[in-house]
Amino acid sequence: MISPEGTVSFWEYLGSRRERLVFETWQHASMVFQTVLVALVLGVLIGVAVYRSARLSAFATSAAGVFFTVPSLALLGLLITPLGLGVAPSVVALTLYSLLPIVRNTVVGLAGVDRTLVDAARGIGMTRAAILLRIELPLAWPVILTGARVSTQLAMGIGAIAAYVNGPGLGEQIFSGLARLGGANAINMTLAGTLGIVLLALLFDGCFVLIGRLTTPRGIRV
Amino acid sequence: MSAPSPEIRAASRTDAAEPAAALHAPTGRSWRMLLEPVVILVVGAAWMLYVETSDLDSIEERSLKPRYVWQKTWEHIELTLVSTLIVLLIAVPLGIVLSRAWARPATPFVLAVANIGQSAPAIGVVVLLAVLLGIGFWTTIVALVAYGVLPALRNTMVGLQQVDPDLTDAGRGIGMSPARVLGRVELPLAAPVILAGIRTTLVLMVGTASIASFISGGGLGDMITTGVTTQRTPVLLTGCVLIGLLALLIDWLGGVATRLLAPKGL
Repeated sequence: MISPEGTVSFWEYLGSRRERLVFETWQHASMVFQTVLVALVLGVLIGVAVYRSARLSAFATSAAGVFFTVPSLALLGLLITPLGLGVAPSVVALTLYSLLPIVRNTVVGLAGVDRTLVDAARGIGMTRAAILLRIELPLAWPVILTGARVSTQLAMGIGAIAAYVNGPGLGEQIFSGLARLGGANAINMTLAGTLGIVLLALLFDGCFVLIGRLTTPRGIRV
Repeated sequence: MSAPSPEIRAASRTDAAEPAAALHAPTGRSWRMLLEPVVILVVGAAWMLYVETSDLDSIEERSLKPRYVWQKTWEHIELTLVSTLIVLLIAVPLGIVLSRAWARPATPFVLAVANIGQSAPAIGVVVLLAVLLGIGFWTTIVALVAYGVLPALRNTMVGLQQVDPDLTDAGRGIGMSPARVLGRVELPLAAPVILAGIRTTLVLMVGTASIASFISGGGLGDMITTGVTTQRTPVLLTGCVLIGLLALLIDWLGGVATRLLAPKGL
């Protein structure tokens, strides 16, 4: 490969753009964190609302599944029309994609709770809400958390494509590289964006392992 | 990145314990199976009819000519099928080799690499390869394959790993050669997981092929980028709608193939 004029080594590139890269990495991490958090709250609420009816559960998971099959670029494109370019379509798209694994795992997790435990709880006089909060959700929590973990990995990658609709984050590096294809630093930019996202994804995954350890009720820890 | 990751598919498959019976359920449900593609095709046709009959300016008209739309759709299908085929040709044999007893020590390592590789964003992989190899159809295919091969490999390995060792032992015990154990016991038992992996790959490839247009790989993504750069909403929306419908249609086809090809009695 011929190096066009002005090309610097990858490390030099990282050094010279440090501030910008740190900022974009932070943006990416915070976008993913916030969207997954919103999706976690919404997803658990949806899951709690539907899990008692087999029909509603099937409907919620298959609707989310259909939605999930739609490629992210198509969804981002569809969202440009009502929401314009920028942060709004990116955040909405990321939240929507993050919902599916969480809804599905909430439904599966809650359905997997041993019925005899729920009966026992009712037997000792716990209210419906107390059973949900103190028995069912804690027992389903590891499964729900796995859903959130999958969502996070997804959101990391889709977040990169969001830069196409002027969304925030490391995708900007990749698209800058694309715009300068064959020019100086195209490879450095793309590499910085891609590796940055891989590192963030691994970091978040590590955090999930930690959160899982800390928040799983002691009795069901493996 | 938009297609279901193997974990999700795998989860949905193992969680749904009851469909084992429904999987081969005969006639009663067959009309329902056809309902989905019919709905998809009707929606697609209705959308095209609506767009073609609405007021279009010259740019829109050019980008929405039925022949052009069909050409882009066909390119998209081509990208999807060619890349899926190559992914399978690489991933399935490699997965089989890596799950042999002598290669087992390498399994955790390969799975770890597959996991890390999967967290690379699709768009990053695509653009990186364009920087290295130039733009065009074959670069796109290389990028799609590079992106799709790890999940497919993972699925094949997981599928073969979960085969009950007692059954392979029994196969060997009744005097089957290792090749026959593989062909008659392991592969048929692993088939549902491997087939589910093929479906996942197909859907993953439809989604990733939509970003091929960034590196001149063709496909329906072209309509999205044209729509955005020329600020023509009908073109943008047509691209989005058709990609979405194509993904759903291919997912359905994958589902049908999974049902038809899965060995009976599982």
